Amino acid sequence: MVTLKSFFEQAREGRLTGIKCGGCGEIAIPPKQFCANCGARAWQSVPLSGEGTLASYTIIRVAPAGHAADAPYAVGVVKLKEGAAIFGRIVDVPFEKLAVGLALRFRPIVVKEQTSVGFAP
Amino acid sequence: MRRVAVIGVGVTKFGKHDRTSGELFAEAAVDALADAELPPGAVQALYYGNVVGGETEHQLHTGPQAASILGIPTVPTTRFETACASSHAAFRHAVMEIAAGVSDVVLVGGGERVLNVPTAESTEYFAYASDASWEQPLGLTFPGVFALVARAHMAKYGTTEEQMAAVAVKNHKHGTMNPKAQFQKEITLETVMKSPYVADPLKLYDCCPFTDGGAAIVLASEDVARPRRRAVWVLGTAAASDSMLLGDKKDLSRVMATERAAKAAYQQAGKSPSDVNVVELHDCFTIAEIVATEGLGLFEPGAGGIAAERGDTSLGGKVPVNPSGGLKSKGHPIGATGAAQIAEIVTQLRGEAGPRQVDGARTGLTHTLGGNTATVLVSLFGRE
Repeated sequence: MVTLKSFFEQAREGRLTGIKCGGCGEIAIPPKQFCANCGARAWQSVPLSGEGTLASYTIIRVAPAGHAADAPYAVGVVKLKEGAAIFGRIVDVPFEKLAVGLALRFRPIVVKEQTSVGFAP
Repeated sequence: MRRVAVIGVGVTKFGKHDRTSGELFAEAAVDALADAELPPGAVQALYYGNVVGGETEHQLHTGPQAASILGIPTVPTTRFETACASSHAAFRHAVMEIAAGVSDVVLVGGGERVLNVPTAESTEYFAYASDASWEQPLGLTFPGVFALVARAHMAKYGTTEEQMAAVAVKNHKHGTMNPKAQFQKEITLETVMKSPYVADPLKLYDCCPFTDGGAAIVLASEDVARPRRRAVWVLGTAAASDSMLLGDKKDLSRVMATERAAKAAYQQAGKSPSDVNVVELHDCFTIAEIVATEGLGLFEPGAGGIAAERGDTSLGGKVPVNPSGGLKSKGHPIGATGAAQIAEIVTQLRGEAGPRQVDGARTGLTHTLGGNTATVLVSLFGRE
C-alpha cells in the first residue's frame, strides 16, 4: 500500500510512485482503496517515469498568505506518459514559453521539510 | 415522496458588514419568515451553510449559533460544508427531510464573513478547499483552479479572453438592477481587459469579490404551501461530485459534476434544458459561467463563450443567466450563495424581480459549484 507519507518520501528522492489496478490496468496516483474505474481493490505500486506533457497551466500572481513571497509562480497539470495526471509547480520555464503540450519532467520541490511535486524541462 | 415548495426568501445586502455570519444569516431569516407569513415557532429544523467560520471568526458549531441568534435555539440544526456550494447542499437535504415526511417547515440558509481579514489571508482559507497534501503546499488558489479550466477550454475550443470579459460586463449590468448587490455599476469590456492578471488568463475583473452576507429560505410541505399563492415548487434537486485532485479530473475543460447533477435534476423534474427560462449559476469566475452554461445543456460544448458575447445570456436574450448580477456583481458570501441563488429564482418565478424581471419565467434553475469543481448542486423550480 502506497500511503501519502511513503509517496512523498520517495518523491523527495526523485522517484514518482504510481499504483496500477490489477483489475483494469488503470494507473492512478495514491492513495486510493478501490479503483474508481472498475471497483477492484488490487493495486500494485509501479514506478512512474516522471515524463509528461503540460495539459493546462497558469501563473499565480495573487498568492495565498503563505506563498506571497514566491509570487508570481507557474503551476499546472501534467499528463504523465503512463496515463495518470498530476498537479505541480512548474520551474525553470520562462512564463512566455509555457504552452499546452510542453514536455516536462518531474522534479521534487522541498521547502521546510515539505515535499511537493514540481516539473521542469 | 411528498412535494416541497419554497414559501419564503430573504437576503441581506451583500458587501462588507461589521456583523458576524450568524447575525447576517439571522437578519435574512427574519425576512424569509415574514415573507412566508410564519412565526419563528413554526420552524422544525435549520439546515445551515457556513464555510470559513472556523478561520475568519474562530467559530465552529455555527448551526446552533445561527439558530440561537435567530431566536429558535431548540430546533435541530446541521451545518453543511461543501465549500462554495454549502447552502445549496443544505437545501437539498432539507428538501429530502420534508419529502420524506419528517418535517413540514424547514429553514435553510447560510452566512459568511470574510472581509474582516486581509485578502491574502482569505485567499489562503479559501484554498483549504483544495487538497492539503498535493495542491495547497504549491500555492494553488481558486483563481488558479479556474485559470487551469480556462486555459484548457481556450486550447480545446478557441474561447477568448474577450468572451470571458463579456460575462463580467453582462453580470455587472444585471447587478445595477439589484439593490442587494455588492457592486451596482456597469463596467466596460476595456475595464476587464485592462485589469491586472490574478492567475493568467484570469484578470481581476474575471473574478468575483470576497463578500460578507446572509441568505435564508423557508421550505414547506405541500399541505402548508398549497394555500399560498406565491409558493414556488421544487421540481428537482441533485448533487454530484468529482475527483478531488485536479490531476484526477478527466477533462479540465469540462466540469463533470455539473453535467452529472444537471442530468439527474432534469430527470427528476421531467424537464429539459430548453424548458428553462431563467438561470442563477455559479460564476465565481467568468470562465465558470461559460463552462456551466455548457454543462447545464443550455449551449453546446465550446459554444458558451460565443453565446455570452452574442447576448444570449443577457436579460432579454435567449436564456437570461444571473439576472441578480451573479457572484461577480451581486457578491459571493460563500456559505450563503446557494440559498441566495434560490432566493433570486423564487423572486423571478413569482414575477417580483422588478427591473431585472425575466418576462413570463415559469421554470428556473440554480447551479452552485463547490471549490475545485468537486461538488456541484443543480435544482429546478417552477410555478403551478
